[in-house]
Amino acid sequence: MSVESEVSLDGKKLTIAIKGRFDFGSHQAFRDAYERFYKVPETYIVDLKETTYMDSSALGMLLLLRDHAGGEDAEVRVLNSNSDVRKILAISNFDKLFDIS
Amino acid sequence: MAEIHLDPDVLSDLQEVMESEYPTLLDTFIEDSQERVAALRKAGGDAKTLGRIAHSFKGSSGNLGAVRLAQLCELLETEAVEAASDLGALVDQIDHEFALVKPLYECRSELAREKRQR
Amino acid sequence: MSALAPVLEALTILIAEDSAADRLLLSTIIRRQGHRVLTAGNGVEAVEIFAHERPQLVLMDALMPVMDGFEAARQIKQLAGEALVPIIFLTSLRESEALAQCLDAGGDDFLPKPYNPLILAAKINAMDRLRRLQATVLQQRDLIARHHEHLLHEQRAAKAVFDKVAHSGCINAAPNIRYLQSPYALFNGDLLLAAYTPSGDMHVLLGDFTGHGLPAAIGAMPLAEVFYGMTAKGYGLTQTLREMNAKLKRILPVDMFCCATLLCLSAQRRAVEVWNGGMPEGYVHEVATGRRTPLISRHLPLGVLSAEAFDDSTEVWPMALGDRVFLLSDGVLDTADANDQLFGAARLQQVFAANREPDRLFEDIEQALAAFRGQARDDVSMVEITLLSAPPLRVAEPMYADSGQSSPLDWSVSFEFRAQTLKNYNPLPYLLQLLLEVHGLREQGGALYSVMAELYSNALEHGVLGLDSALKRDAQGFAQYYRQRNERLAQLNSGYVRVHVQVAPTDQGGTMTLRVEDSGSGFDVDKELARPVDVDRLSGRGLSLVRQLSSAVSWSDGGRSVCVEFCWEALA
Repeated sequence: MSVESEVSLDGKKLTIAIKGRFDFGSHQAFRDAYERFYKVPETYIVDLKETTYMDSSALGMLLLLRDHAGGEDAEVRVLNSNSDVRKILAISNFDKLFDIS
Repeated sequence: MAEIHLDPDVLSDLQEVMESEYPTLLDTFIEDSQERVAALRKAGGDAKTLGRIAHSFKGSSGNLGAVRLAQLCELLETEAVEAASDLGALVDQIDHEFALVKPLYECRSELAREKRQR
Repeated sequence: MSALAPVLEALTILIAEDSAADRLLLSTIIRRQGHRVLTAGNGVEAVEIFAHERPQLVLMDALMPVMDGFEAARQIKQLAGEALVPIIFLTSLRESEALAQCLDAGGDDFLPKPYNPLILAAKINAMDRLRRLQATVLQQRDLIARHHEHLLHEQRAAKAVFDKVAHSGCINAAPNIRYLQSPYALFNGDLLLAAYTPSGDMHVLLGDFTGHGLPAAIGAMPLAEVFYGMTAKGYGLTQTLREMNAKLKRILPVDMFCCATLLCLSAQRRAVEVWNGGMPEGYVHEVATGRRTPLISRHLPLGVLSAEAFDDSTEVWPMALGDRVFLLSDGVLDTADANDQLFGAARLQQVFAANREPDRLFEDIEQALAAFRGQARDDVSMVEITLLSAPPLRVAEPMYADSGQSSPLDWSVSFEFRAQTLKNYNPLPYLLQLLLEVHGLREQGGALYSVMAELYSNALEHGVLGLDSALKRDAQGFAQYYRQRNERLAQLNSGYVRVHVQVAPTDQGGTMTLRVEDSGSGFDVDKELARPVDVDRLSGRGLSLVRQLSSAVSWSDGGRSVCVEFCWEALA
């Protein structure tokens, strides 16, 4: 498991990439990834390209990020989920909260 | 084998470490050593007992700077294992060496006491 | 002496040395380094002193009379047990064999003669660091063990409390429920609840909280309370869901929520109403055809959305008596084999296909899981409910505490529920509570609720919404019927349902008259009543039920007004 984050040059977009398992073990690293930035970005990208697995606590972490990013008004996009991960997002109907592609 | 009986550096280190206890240490060593020499004598031809006493004697005389005495004890300890040569002669040499260093220790002990009293 | 390594902490150090001069020398050096010194002239003395004084470190001469240092070291290590008591051998031994002997006996280090005070101090400090490291490790290990014990105790206690709450429903008593839960599934967030509504329908909830352990179990308590409380009072799934969602949203942290499937099985209506938010697909199993209809997750889990955004829309599926509903938690599907492959829905389907005896379905699934992984998980929950003919109607007793002296016996009340209210408000629980103030009606609470529910839904669905009950002839039409119902209800902007209640005392006891009117176009009462009662038909059961349960029924105003009567005898 590893969590990497990167801000775009203009500081408006924060991309968080999770490698390996996205579960409770990533909790602190995931929070750090968005809490450590002084300037608040406009858009958040969660890149799951290299995520092999996610559990319900990972869904909880997405909710935390959404809350941090402004709740109802948050712009959080979840990208590159593989079929297993997408199934989990689909069962939970998280597409109603997040822009998933 | 150099004929050093007492190592003055060791003794001055000891004096520094022991401070007021220095004369007591020397007196204790003399007393202890007398017992050991007697025990060596008493052991006669018992190589094992001779070796054990020599080992212990070697340790304390080494600590007290009796270089030649420690060397003789080590020789006896080694010879006792091999049980080859005449151990009696070595015991004589140890006895002799101790008789030689004993007054030197006594003298230093006396001096140290006097110095403290002044 | 000056250049000694600094002393970390004053220790009590035992010196076992047979040479009096060496003993004196060492004692002095060590005392000067700030430690407390104990001395022994041989091994036996050393062991005795150790047993009484428990020094933290031992300097041990190897060769001593009476008992040598090796044996003394062995005995001291034994006495010390798990604590590390470093033993430094004082020796002029040169032979490697003798040095190995020191280590064998439990020695931790050597100090050669003649002594060097600097090296001695450094070794004592090094050994002391080791000793304290070991002490810390032991202390932490014991602390962890105590915490673990404590946690297990708390879990047992919490489970006992929770079992009382969670199983206060009919989960164990109902003959038509089978379930399987790993013993500590609760502490993996799984929750299973079941209870009867006043009209004899059964509500079932299978939930799965995010996370594990006590935090997951804690949210289960308020959820269970809402479930049981509202089910007993006659609230439908949608109101109960709204309340559960609002409560969880209020009390849970942002990253916690509860995936849940909520069912209402009605033997009377031959249907199951379903809401699934985030749970794996369950199934309605039609025994006659073998078909399994998936109950797909259509919603976000409970506790995620605000009350305004929450979607309470349910789906309704027809069921024949003997048909089954099967629900499961993700522990079943997410059981992983040695290569991290998940069991998955496809393998579950294979088990369904291979199942020959419906009553052995759980066993078949368990076997398949065991064959797949060989090890049971602790978050596996499965439940299967068979639709049986309705149980005798009753209202749970403990709701009433008064003796009936204050029972109101001569009153009337009228309501008019208009379009905006009809859309999302269910007045039945409130009406039932009101009527049950009348002591004499409590005996018949279940029948009363069933009749009210039937009349109200007839007035709303056939009257106000103008739905055709003939649609419910087959499964396809059934689904269409409920789809139309939702659509028309959403668009509703006129119409009403009126409810008039009149309670009056009689010589023998009392009578309650309930009149329900709607703004619809009415129906041909005589024709409807003339139709034969067909038990397997999905429609038309309502009227016969009403006639069966109430003392008298009559229609007027071209079917737009219906009046029922309930009588009771004075209580002894």
